[in-house]
Amino acid sequence: MRDIAPKTPPQRPAMQEPDGFDRLYRDHVDLIYRYAYRLCGEAESAKDLVQETFLNAYQGLKDFRGESRVSTWLYTIASRACIRMRRKRKGQPEHELSMEEFVPTSEGEFRLQIPMDGLSPEEALQNKELRKALDHAIEKLPQKYRMALVLHDMEGLRAKEVGTIMGLNERAVKSRLHRARLFVRRELSARGITHHDDHTSGGSHS
Amino acid sequence: MTKKKTAAPKKQSKPSSYDHRHSEGACVDLLRQLSAYIDDELPSDICKEIRRHLGACPNCEVFIASLQHTVTLCRHRPAPQLRPVDRMNMRRAILDAANAR
Repeated sequence: MRDIAPKTPPQRPAMQEPDGFDRLYRDHVDLIYRYAYRLCGEAESAKDLVQETFLNAYQGLKDFRGESRVSTWLYTIASRACIRMRRKRKGQPEHELSMEEFVPTSEGEFRLQIPMDGLSPEEALQNKELRKALDHAIEKLPQKYRMALVLHDMEGLRAKEVGTIMGLNERAVKSRLHRARLFVRRELSARGITHHDDHTSGGSHS
Repeated sequence: MTKKKTAAPKKQSKPSSYDHRHSEGACVDLLRQLSAYIDDELPSDICKEIRRHLGACPNCEVFIASLQHTVTLCRHRPAPQLRPVDRMNMRRAILDAANAR
């Protein structure tokens, strides 16, 4: 008795069913590009990562058992590929973020703010300076923290799914996520971004 | 019109039960739990306690607002779209690489 689950489409060997790969690519390439862009912070590296991800998926398609969602499987492949690619590029070790470093030591540090009072997030993000600061802060995060933040807060996945992708339990995911948020908050607020909105100032710059 | 709901946060010089040096005690405990609080994962009694603390501690209130803003901004930061030409070129490159192996 063979245990073959016939429900999910991409289960047949890719070589025998090229359509299987095409469907997989067509349905998920935008998702994986978005994830890759958020991890890499720029387009060229993101494209490299997408290609590496789908190449691995192409080769692994025949082994995919449908135990997780296809998107979870692809996120996992992309995350591992990203770790490998980064390791190749620069060998610097990842540094850990400790909770202690986020304990404010002064009133001023406690009261640092992010300029979005009364604005919707979309309006706030029209402030170019704020947008750049946010991107920069995320980019500065050590990779494993960035991954947790991107998957949870940007891709909108639940901690359990993030854990499946990163090979962690939920508690570890939440701990990384919390530190990542504290890091980004500190980076953002410490920049002292002023409250001027590009969209209300006549739009001379984009 | 309406009655005052609570007898709470009068702006007095020193809120009663917290020592606000912000490097130890209640503020640090709170700091550790803020993400769980924002994500609504804490039991209601702890949430209540946190809200009480926030009412009495303006610094923590500002801190949590800025953390909440951080999460909100992350959630709404759009990512650029892939151009159709890139989508097509990448597909070709992936299949070429796969066949070359």
